[in-house]
Amino acid sequence: MTNEALYPLKFGYPQKTGLYDPANEKDSCGVGFVADIKGRPSHQIMLDAYHINSRMDHRGGCGFEANTGDGAGILMALPHSFFAAVARKEFDVELPAAGSYAVGNIFLPQDPAEREHCRQTINSTISAEGQRLIGWREVPVDPDGADVGPAARMAQPRIEQLFIAASEGMDRDTFERTLYIIRKRFTHKLRGDRNLQEAKMLYACSLSTKVIVYKGMLTPGQLFPFYQDLTNTNFETHLAMVHSRFSTNTFPSWDRAQPNRFMSHNGEINTLRGNVNQMVAREGTVKSELFGQKMAELFPVIDSDCSDSGSFDAVLEFMLLSGRSLQESVMMMIPEAWQSDTNMSQDKRDFYEFHSALMEPWDGPASIVFSDGDYIGAVLDRNGLRPSRYYVTHDDKVIMASEVGVLEVNPANVKLKGRLQPGKMFLLDFEQGRLIPDEELKQAISSRRPYGQWLQNQKITLEQIATTAAAHSLDADNVLARMQAFGYTTETMQFMLLPLVTEARDPLGSMGNDSALACLSDKPRMIYDYFKQLFAQITNPAIDSIREEVVMSLECFIGPEGNLLDTTETQAHRLSLKHPILSNRELADIRAMDFRGMRTQVIDITYQAGTENGYRQALDRICSEALQAIQDGYSFIILSDRNIAADRIPLSALVACGAVHHHLISKHQRTRIGLVIETGEAREVHHHCLLTGYGADAINPYLAFEALWQASLDGLLGDGYQTEDDLVYAYKKGVAKGMLKVMAKMGISTLHSYKGAQIFEAVGLADEIIKRCFVGTASRVQGVSFAVLIEETERRHRLGYPLANANLIPVLNNPGDFHWRSGGENHMWDPSSIFNLQVAARNNSVDAYKTFARHTNEQTTRACTFRGLLKFRKDSVAAIPLDQVEPASAIVKRFATGAMSLGSISTETHESLAIAMNRMGGKSNTGEGGEDPSRFSPMANGDSKRSAIKQVASGRFGVTIWYLNNADELQIKIAQGAKPGEGGELPGGKVDEYIAKIRHSTPGVGLISPPPHHDIYSIEDIAQLIHDLKNANREARISVKLVSEIGVGTIAAGVTKAKTDHLVIAGHDGGTGASPLTSIKHAGLPWELGIAETHQTLVMNNLRSRVVLQTDGQLKTGRDVAIAALLGAEEFGFATAPLITLGCIMMRKCHLNTCPVGIATQDPELRKKFRGKPEHVVNYLFMVAEEMREIMAELGLRTVNEMIGRVDLLQTDKAVKHWKADGLDLQAILAPAQKVFPNTGVYCTQSQDHGLDKALDNRLIKLAAKAISNGEKVNIELPVLNINRVVGTMLSSAVAKRWQQEMLPEDTINIKLNGSAGQSLGAWLAKGITLTVEGDANDYVGKGLSGGKIVIYPPKNSSFKAEENIIAGNVNLYGATSGEAYIRGIAAERFAVRNSGATAVVEGIGDHGCEYMTGGCVVILGKTGRNFGAGMSGGIAYVWDRDQDFNKQCNMDTFELEALHEQADIDQLKELISRHLHYTESSVAQQLLDNWKQSIQQFVKVMPTDYKRVLAERAASAEQAVAV
Amino acid sequence: MGKPTGFKEFERRAEPYRAPAERLLDYKEIYTEHDESHLATQGARCMDCGVPFCQSENGCPVYNLIPEWNDLVYKGYWREALDRLHKTNNFPEFTGRVCPAPCEGACVLGISNPPVTIKNIENAIIDKGFENGWVVPHIPSTRTGRKVAVIGSGPAGLAAAAQLNQAGHEVTVYEREDRIGGLLMYGIPNMKLDKEVVERRVKLLAAEGVKFVVNADVGGQGPHAIAIDKLLAGVDALCLATGATTARDLKIPNRDGDGIHFAMEFLTANTRSLLDSGLKNADFISARDKNVIVIGGGDTGTDCIATSLRHGCKSLVNFEIMPRPSVDRPADNPWPLWPKIYREDYGHTEAAHRFGKDPREYSLSGKEFIRDAQGKLLGINTVEVDSKFQEIPGTVKFWEAELILLSMGFLGPEHYLSNALGIELDQRSNYKAEYRSFQTSNPKVFAAGDCRRGQSLVVRAIDEGRLVAEAINHYLLTE
Repeated sequence: MTNEALYPLKFGYPQKTGLYDPANEKDSCGVGFVADIKGRPSHQIMLDAYHINSRMDHRGGCGFEANTGDGAGILMALPHSFFAAVARKEFDVELPAAGSYAVGNIFLPQDPAEREHCRQTINSTISAEGQRLIGWREVPVDPDGADVGPAARMAQPRIEQLFIAASEGMDRDTFERTLYIIRKRFTHKLRGDRNLQEAKMLYACSLSTKVIVYKGMLTPGQLFPFYQDLTNTNFETHLAMVHSRFSTNTFPSWDRAQPNRFMSHNGEINTLRGNVNQMVAREGTVKSELFGQKMAELFPVIDSDCSDSGSFDAVLEFMLLSGRSLQESVMMMIPEAWQSDTNMSQDKRDFYEFHSALMEPWDGPASIVFSDGDYIGAVLDRNGLRPSRYYVTHDDKVIMASEVGVLEVNPANVKLKGRLQPGKMFLLDFEQGRLIPDEELKQAISSRRPYGQWLQNQKITLEQIATTAAAHSLDADNVLARMQAFGYTTETMQFMLLPLVTEARDPLGSMGNDSALACLSDKPRMIYDYFKQLFAQITNPAIDSIREEVVMSLECFIGPEGNLLDTTETQAHRLSLKHPILSNRELADIRAMDFRGMRTQVIDITYQAGTENGYRQALDRICSEALQAIQDGYSFIILSDRNIAADRIPLSALVACGAVHHHLISKHQRTRIGLVIETGEAREVHHHCLLTGYGADAINPYLAFEALWQASLDGLLGDGYQTEDDLVYAYKKGVAKGMLKVMAKMGISTLHSYKGAQIFEAVGLADEIIKRCFVGTASRVQGVSFAVLIEETERRHRLGYPLANANLIPVLNNPGDFHWRSGGENHMWDPSSIFNLQVAARNNSVDAYKTFARHTNEQTTRACTFRGLLKFRKDSVAAIPLDQVEPASAIVKRFATGAMSLGSISTETHESLAIAMNRMGGKSNTGEGGEDPSRFSPMANGDSKRSAIKQVASGRFGVTIWYLNNADELQIKIAQGAKPGEGGELPGGKVDEYIAKIRHSTPGVGLISPPPHHDIYSIEDIAQLIHDLKNANREARISVKLVSEIGVGTIAAGVTKAKTDHLVIAGHDGGTGASPLTSIKHAGLPWELGIAETHQTLVMNNLRSRVVLQTDGQLKTGRDVAIAALLGAEEFGFATAPLITLGCIMMRKCHLNTCPVGIATQDPELRKKFRGKPEHVVNYLFMVAEEMREIMAELGLRTVNEMIGRVDLLQTDKAVKHWKADGLDLQAILAPAQKVFPNTGVYCTQSQDHGLDKALDNRLIKLAAKAISNGEKVNIELPVLNINRVVGTMLSSAVAKRWQQEMLPEDTINIKLNGSAGQSLGAWLAKGITLTVEGDANDYVGKGLSGGKIVIYPPKNSSFKAEENIIAGNVNLYGATSGEAYIRGIAAERFAVRNSGATAVVEGIGDHGCEYMTGGCVVILGKTGRNFGAGMSGGIAYVWDRDQDFNKQCNMDTFELEALHEQADIDQLKELISRHLHYTESSVAQQLLDNWKQSIQQFVKVMPTDYKRVLAERAASAEQAVAV
Repeated sequence: MGKPTGFKEFERRAEPYRAPAERLLDYKEIYTEHDESHLATQGARCMDCGVPFCQSENGCPVYNLIPEWNDLVYKGYWREALDRLHKTNNFPEFTGRVCPAPCEGACVLGISNPPVTIKNIENAIIDKGFENGWVVPHIPSTRTGRKVAVIGSGPAGLAAAAQLNQAGHEVTVYEREDRIGGLLMYGIPNMKLDKEVVERRVKLLAAEGVKFVVNADVGGQGPHAIAIDKLLAGVDALCLATGATTARDLKIPNRDGDGIHFAMEFLTANTRSLLDSGLKNADFISARDKNVIVIGGGDTGTDCIATSLRHGCKSLVNFEIMPRPSVDRPADNPWPLWPKIYREDYGHTEAAHRFGKDPREYSLSGKEFIRDAQGKLLGINTVEVDSKFQEIPGTVKFWEAELILLSMGFLGPEHYLSNALGIELDQRSNYKAEYRSFQTSNPKVFAAGDCRRGQSLVVRAIDEGRLVAEAINHYLLTE
């Protein structure tokens, strides 16, 4: 083995190879702290910290070695007496007074010579900065005692402690700044030193007078045994922050463990790329008297190989050491959702608005704990996407962590139990010795300066700069010619622009994308088509931009930015924009403005036709003109293609924008100017997203306006748009909704941070383009160069301005991008393939199948996909006879049909697929709509309609314990190919009686699937859900469905570490239902990239053998399947093709319920037209398997297992050529997976250890044996800890398996638990089980509740008021279908999300309560958070609105508030409160009942409008029925 | 687009023909006036398919943008519909009248419902276009100076000429008959395609710059002969579009003699006399008071039936060798293939109206013509055949007839011109040239339409004419 092969183990990540790129790593984790409020140091704090971290072991990750962790660490106050003793012993010196010396742990190279070199460099840097080295101490570590795994050990740096004394008389702050400079200097110098083999090992964990960090690539349990200092009883601190890391890969990294120098982070920064670029750009403008000339030593502020958390820490540190307080810096970086919060104080709004002129939010799910030793605090992102719970004790201790119960505290000692709320901060001031509440803290900071006044004086609005300068009218000439030159088609109008305006949203389409990738298309394509939107999966959640609009915002300051390190009035001197799209009037005002020193330069982005190299020269010209404009003092530039004419060809606005943006960043000038685009090119949501994603501050899409105005004049838009303004307004509205949705897909909530964040991947663009215009964007398949881009542009230009003889009929082309057109864009499903496949399947005709397969393999697939460019490599293999290849009947068992819900497709179709797959031993998939329990039993003829795969999607429709126990596989759908990162909607019209019954909803009422799973916001959450489902049905394998995008391999590695048994990597091109067209066309990547990346990454991490890999996305033929196997897949999904065998003709009308062949419709008339038979599907799939066998025989392969990952049997087919695809380079896909570790398996050979043997339920099942077998009543009482997760679920599974759907009578099994219950308490708790917890509970209480009962109340000896304290975590009763819950205290965010049948009483809830609820009843005897009832379409809530302010917290889009007057309602409420009293002895309930008459007056009933209407209709028809 | 639920709400209703009683009295077109609102409803039935089979290879050969103009008609944008129609089809007024409409056979709605009335809509769009003066000559702004001769003025030749002219080339069309139009002029009777409709289009082409020469029998021997060598030398490219004019004969005993004619002789003479004199010159083959038998069940056969009826025949029978097709698609003829089903064309309706009975007799094969001693035609003996065309013994039957019209299709082009040019033929005796290149063995000579592919539809001829123009244009620009 060469040294090279060992490098990955030693120095962190392997090099970028194949599709594996270390940059894609993500992490998340558990975080917590414990501190003494009065600032009294003790070793007890260390012991507590140790406890906390060990109790969050399940939130950290480990790889294929159980004893190699992803990272753990601790940050503490510098223990002066301990280090004083150390210094005496090691250096024989007395340390200076606390504050005048610093200690830090430094990771150094293993190689002694290199290590010495590093030490010398550091030493000389210290003296160069005028400080004094005290000495180096080798930190005592015990890898053996800590049982550190081999991989971690091999990468373990030498860990030494650096002691530095301050120069004489230097004050502490100055010394801290000097330490910062020292650290930056030696780090830049050494880590960047190419002569050092082990340069990347050098890392300073911290270097401060106040705090110190110990960390490493350890499991939480290893941290203390490893670092012997930590267990030394003299080691005392008043605070300890701990962190356990869960990274998405397993490659060793000691430096990426957390805490960082000032903070730890649980979550992910989605907008990192933009934040980092902005910081680079700001280097041209930041100034600080504190650093003066030394400032340059600090650049780059963010080191290039930093993780997101590391980058955040670097900027936080930069601001902190430049004079801002930690709190203020954090408020700037993670502002609350202030834009639409009407309840927020004006001062605070002003603070946020003012500072938004200085820095964009670092957006993403984040629970951040920060400390500089003087304070310790925590903050939660604006949407509350991470859990953070705390206790304050009577003896002045604060314990805060991602979970409660991590440290046992005597209940009597608990003063209060709280949680961090979205956007809120929590701060301990050790000097004051108290906890400062969010309101007080922020009020103090906000009122320090007159931000409001400053804004009033300085902020510029469009209204202020209104001029009388001429604006372009929309009534323009040559509209059609320009439309053609800018690539408009009839479909642009029909599918994109007209619906965008009339429906005020991004338009819908159906059946996925089967057309050619832009880089394979032989048509000239817009450059926008080469980009795919990235989306959140697993490591952070998508946001629901519609239902959770309160956190979304498009508002931005644009124009020159001030000095980040300053706080002066003039920094607010920027233009405030509410919307990135500008009307012609607004653009004219900006163009003409000469307002308080602000002026605008227009830069023409067209070039003279026929000039040699005109395009490239124009790019150079506009970049230098932009820079010149800054030097000339302009505040804005407008890049304009208005000059388009027969002889003036425009550069692509996106190319121009990206080139200028990156040119200015590289010159550190970008923040000095606003970048406005005036273009005829951009018109669709995707275009606007790309432009802003690559730096545009505002866009004037004038041609889109003109085209729409023309359409309006032609009457195509109805009568709605009388004026140009009306039309532009409607367009802006549609674009806003669309852009917010695209941002939300990635979990980004503000345009401010989306801007420049480059949330895209390019497919088939050459590096010369990327490096010039889209720096940092992934483009893994090289291809289209500037030459092609120019050719495309000029071809399009000629369409509008033909060379000669222009007797063209003046109409737009229809190249058939969406709908197939003869002679248009290639589609994989064309008339010939559909026809031949149907004949083949119906008649079991091998001839027709061969015609179909030939046409598909040699024409359509070849013209559209990467796999079309591959061929099998037969030169080095010996063919074998066909009969030696495993039979088709074995191969088809690896086949599955796609997840299509009953609801999206008809019952006939859904059942035909299930019967077909069961006949073959393959697997059909329920989709997300649940399944009729009657299908679980076999049919009389031996067939079965039971779907082997039961899907668990974000809507959790019909996901009961009984459903889960009737599965062979439980599939967690994270994303789907057609619309990754988005939820779905089933319109009311499709919800008939039958579907409503299965989904536990109301017929006629529309249903929403949220974009994220509300119990998966990060990698450790999916580990939890996998664990939950495994508990619910231990016989089923757990599957996670992801969609191909850059980094999916590392995510897959993370999910494998999270113990999934099975992974689906879906391609972007599948899709069998309705989705926004923007998503169908522009989100997700081909599966060839996804499966290859996943296989390569899993093999490299030695995780491949633990998981079964499946792929899907337009698989059609045996050749497709063979290629998928050779790239690494062992199972294969089909959806569109089976539908076609059943009669689908790619109508693409699924979203309209008008499918004329009875497939994607619920219309009873249309369903009669369904003519499919299960045998059609069987016939087809067997023919696919036979084709595959022929290929296997030719390649000498006997079994599919032998094929997996054999990329050596594939090569690029040189015979396939056209003008654009010529330069495509598929080498990255065909790179063989590297086996870094010995004995690496390449397909699934071992099963995951789910750790079910440790579950508390094993005891519960034993204790409840009589109940399970005979239905006898049992009572059980046990203690419970937070590490006892999913309590009651295995027991429920046992009950369901024995008693089936009916389960047991109420209260048959009574379980009393004492303590803090772990996550997912009572998930899918079966009917007949009652779980009572005296104590508190973590997240996901009663998830999927299936008839059971959960009671939680605080310990009887608690001293706090239960109704004012938090007792249960986030996302309780998510997807509950029936049962009851009584919670004596406050539950956190997202209570009863998507509840469809459970009844609950609680004494206060957080934000987003009852979101998407469709049934059941929730009683809230206390306050609610913001955005109550968003998307709530069914069920009822009763809220005790004592202060009559509940309406301010409501999202009233779907419901209304009523007073309580119906007697039935009053009776129901009284009954529920009485039960609450009975179970919990709630004093609140007691009081309410005592004053019942008065109480009734104070209740508000929440009644969903649709639900009310449907109930009324039903009542009316029932009455009618009686009358008749 | 359109009305998503239109297909569920509206029934298919094709535009009616004029009542047989009325139309049998004249040679005017059989069609009724277009009803805009009716057509809008029919347009609304279009489902705007994701994969519109109507324009697939089983559907419209010129790939008409059918879903687009269906929608425009539904919404009342007739002018835009016309622009879109003209984008793919030079002569929608021809196809809208005479095309058998494979598009309707491939219509997705046809899987379970009657298809959209695509052909009616097409016809209405172009008729409305002419009515409103929207169809005007487009005169090319520049000329290339290259010359192209087109031989034959049927749909292929006209389409080629139209396209080549638009590309700026100088085009001359040679026609051996006395009127331009080929099959459109003399092959299809006036009641199906009014000759003014043909002439209207020819005038437009002439206005755009296409030159027409009639009575020009290129490569022929007769008085109107034009020498091919000279012609070829004077042009940059030559396009053959002479059609498939060699009729299939019925070679059974007593074929020679009076009373037996090829359909084309009968139809041509009739139209010529109609146009020259309103049939007053009597220079045509009359069926008046005769017992007429039409052999062959295609469109031309129907045209013979309809013409004979207008002459006032005494009786009329139509033989078809195939068995009577079923009303529904047979299993081996699935959608979207052209449906081989029982249909009733205008001539059959008219015959039934006149004689009370559909004139068609199936599974019949001619055994021998019967003549009296003087050679006068008395009729024909037939025998019944099975589905494999095997004679069934004992089924010989005599049918009385004084006029027998042979309408059994065409074998291919005549060969005097190809012989003169020395170009190769294919196995079926057509001029040999590949689809899309259309180049014959003489690189300067191109062939398109029925003379290249064998007898086919007008719409296929238009397709070939358009594509041969592209090929010739490419040849002229790259040569």
